[in-house]
Amino acid sequence: MKHSLGEFEELVLLIVGAWRDRAYGVLILKTLEEKVEKKVNISAVHVILKRLENKGFVKSRFGSPASNRGGRRKKFYVITAFGKKLLDHQYALRDNIYRQIPEISFG
Amino acid sequence: MKANPPKTALKFLRWFCREDYLEEIEGDLIELYEDYYQWSPRKASWKFTWSVIRYFRPTFIKPFNRYPSNNIAMFRHNFLLSFRSFKRYRNAFFINLIGLSSALACVLLIYLWVNDELHVDKFHEKDHRLFQVMEHLQYDEVIRTTKETSGPMAEAIMEEMPEVAYAAAVAPPHWPGFDGFILSVGEKNVEATGQYVGKDYFNIFSYDLIHGSADQVLTHKNAIVISEALAIKLFNTTEGIMGKEIVFQHEQPFLVSGVFKSVPINSSTQFDFVMSFELYKDIKFWVDDWGSLGPHVYVVLKAGTDVSLFNEKFAGLIKRRFPESIRSPFLKRYSDNYLFSAYENGVLVGGRIEYVRLFSIVAGFILLIACVNFMSLSTAQASRRSKEIGIKKVVGSRRKDLILQYLSESVLMAFFSMIMAFMLVALFLPQFSEIVEKQLSLTYDHALLFSALVITLFTGLAAGSYPAFYLSGLKPVSTLKGKLNAGSNAGWIRKGLVVFQFTISVILMVSVWVVYRQITFVQEQNIGYNKDNIIFFDVEGNIMDNMETFLTEVRRLPGVVNASGTGHRMIGHNWSVSGIQWEGRAPDDMTRFEVAAVNYDLIETLGIEIKEGRSFSKEFSAESAKIIFNEASIKAMQLQEPIGRIVNFMGEKEIIGIVKDFHFESLHEKVKPFCFILAPGSENKIMVKIEAGREKEALDGLRDFYESYNAGFAFDYQFLDESYQAFYAAEQRVATLSKYFAGIAILISCLGLFGLATFTAERRLKEISIRKILGAGESGIVRLLSRDFTGMVLVAIAIATPLSYFIATTWLENFAYRIDLKWWYFIGVASLTLLIAWLTVGLQTLKAARISPTECLKNE
Repeated sequence: MKHSLGEFEELVLLIVGAWRDRAYGVLILKTLEEKVEKKVNISAVHVILKRLENKGFVKSRFGSPASNRGGRRKKFYVITAFGKKLLDHQYALRDNIYRQIPEISFG
Repeated sequence: MKANPPKTALKFLRWFCREDYLEEIEGDLIELYEDYYQWSPRKASWKFTWSVIRYFRPTFIKPFNRYPSNNIAMFRHNFLLSFRSFKRYRNAFFINLIGLSSALACVLLIYLWVNDELHVDKFHEKDHRLFQVMEHLQYDEVIRTTKETSGPMAEAIMEEMPEVAYAAAVAPPHWPGFDGFILSVGEKNVEATGQYVGKDYFNIFSYDLIHGSADQVLTHKNAIVISEALAIKLFNTTEGIMGKEIVFQHEQPFLVSGVFKSVPINSSTQFDFVMSFELYKDIKFWVDDWGSLGPHVYVVLKAGTDVSLFNEKFAGLIKRRFPESIRSPFLKRYSDNYLFSAYENGVLVGGRIEYVRLFSIVAGFILLIACVNFMSLSTAQASRRSKEIGIKKVVGSRRKDLILQYLSESVLMAFFSMIMAFMLVALFLPQFSEIVEKQLSLTYDHALLFSALVITLFTGLAAGSYPAFYLSGLKPVSTLKGKLNAGSNAGWIRKGLVVFQFTISVILMVSVWVVYRQITFVQEQNIGYNKDNIIFFDVEGNIMDNMETFLTEVRRLPGVVNASGTGHRMIGHNWSVSGIQWEGRAPDDMTRFEVAAVNYDLIETLGIEIKEGRSFSKEFSAESAKIIFNEASIKAMQLQEPIGRIVNFMGEKEIIGIVKDFHFESLHEKVKPFCFILAPGSENKIMVKIEAGREKEALDGLRDFYESYNAGFAFDYQFLDESYQAFYAAEQRVATLSKYFAGIAILISCLGLFGLATFTAERRLKEISIRKILGAGESGIVRLLSRDFTGMVLVAIAIATPLSYFIATTWLENFAYRIDLKWWYFIGVASLTLLIAWLTVGLQTLKAARISPTECLKNE
């Protein structure tokens, strides 16, 4: 597979996948902050989302207007089959190589 | 919870962000903002703004240029097209070039002049603190304002007003005789202009001293400070001359105490040397007297002084000493006095600045006329270029590109014209300088080049704007079909433009004619005596002591009719008093009388008519206790049977005669009260009446006699009538300049008309051919073609006539004695305009009417 993901891209893609069809900008940002304890700006999240969408790993749709967003609609992201395959491939590869690490005790 | 994210940040985001991303981003940002807001509103705002800034990156910025194009290539393409169209429509190109360049040349010349005017007297280092003492004189009905004040003012102001750093009284160089002092070193005599100044003069004005220090140069009464140029004339050097002796008027020796750099030409005061005012007080007691007006006083205020506050206190300075005084002094910026000098009833009403404004407006109008030519010719050519525009639009060029193309074409045109204009200016600058009496030069400094650039761009954009928007708005479908629907509308505007041009031309022409008539009227006006063939010169040297012998000898010379001495130049205001007492005078009457202290025969020499009584005569005794008034005085004094009555003015004086009113001031003013007293020995001018036709003989005889009688002094005479004309120098200048400008305006208008006529004739060639085949005669066709233009010019005349009548009336109100506006002035100018327009159009239409129809129609 010729595509590969950067670390941050991979994280975002994972989160999108994990939230099923409820992932959107702010939620992704908060998840990142809580789970990964990473300080990021919302703009960075959007940059990654757009990149993933352009590459075809995620797709998006608009939700209904929300009052806490000044009447703006949320944009929800869903992982595509292609994106899932990429993740599978990447994890399979890593898992495979990981397994080859000998069981040495570093006592 | 009410939380509003920062507006500017949001605006900025909306401005740059791609529209398809905007809603999502905005929503997320606001959601986060509201989240943070609960913790800290300030931090939330800050975070919001910061995030917006972080979004400012290529991923999110919307494409501003939707048609990415090669700008440089387009520019080159536009230039190429411009050149081609210049080459192709050579007629229009040259008409525009000539029109625009002559208009721009006018603008440049006027710019140079205005720039020079605005910088006069501005070079003094302390300019913003340098003031002149002016006085309002409160009469019963009016307030007169004068630059003249009294000698003691300088000291009084230093004593009473602590805000003043320096003050100096000055007997200025424009006083009678001050322009012709004789300075001698050894055998060398040089005539020079001088003034008497207070000791801090060089601390006040920035006339840089090469030798001597500003504090020291005028401490002694026998000190003289000379200019560099004068030093070279007298000593051939400026070095090592300090302390050397210069003899003044062949009488008194002075020692050089300083040398200053020659006075810059943009100084309104021009002089070659200065001497001490203290000395002048010894010679002329009256300048040290609060009772007489004359000397000028200049002051420098300490830094930070508020002038209006100062003036409040200063206004009462004279009244504190003399409670009955009508004088209230005030300070005025010295450098403002040059342009703003006219007061009416105590209120500043203008001065030279009016001419500056007038000519700036004229320059603007001439430029406008030239721009209008460009506009009307370009829109007229629209039909020729409509195919080009149609094709371009079909191929995908936007309106913006087309506008840019036509604007760049007109800017290019303006640029060429500006280069031509610079050449024209270089050519005509000497003549122009002579007319405006300035030494103007084309120095290519930043200011000039920058102004030229701005004017060029402005002209280009102004001239190109209408055609650019009009042409770019054409519909491609109709232009390519050959239909030009927008034409009727443009035709109206074109007609309007021509009407506008001719309106301005007609106004300018009427103005020129009225100014010319008024000036001629003024010069030919009988001023009450015969001012022709009278010369006058200063009383100097030997003449001063032996006036009687000198006059007797002069009267005997061949060609001399009569001669006498006077203390009054008979031109302008010299010396006036308000202290004359007469029977029945109201106690608060402040009538000012102009006084001429004269010798016997002065009235006869000038040929002033006696209305009643007699003139001074040696046959009577005690003539110095007699007085002669003019009619205006008698009227002002309200005297019945005045002859023989006694008035009190420097002792009791009996009225022995009344002369008819004569003009001693310009015709701007009504004749004021005037009186003659006999005071042989106090004259400062000698007037000689010469027999008409024997001028040369008489002048040669006078010169020989003068030089033998008054060795060392130059026989420097002036003609009275010429000096009288100096009153109208400003008007003369306006007349000459407006003559040229009106000429240029009409020339440019006609060029435009010529262009339009050529164009119309060409467009209608087929029509004309068919008409000819059907039997139309040449005259019929000429009439047909000129009808439109005649109509436009007639409309212009109809608009211009009332306007120019109004302008002329307003201008004439400046004169107390003026011409009546005759109806035929307007008819004359109107017919002339019409004639010129017909000639311009006629040539073209005649050519068109003569074409052979076969030539023109064979292509169909």
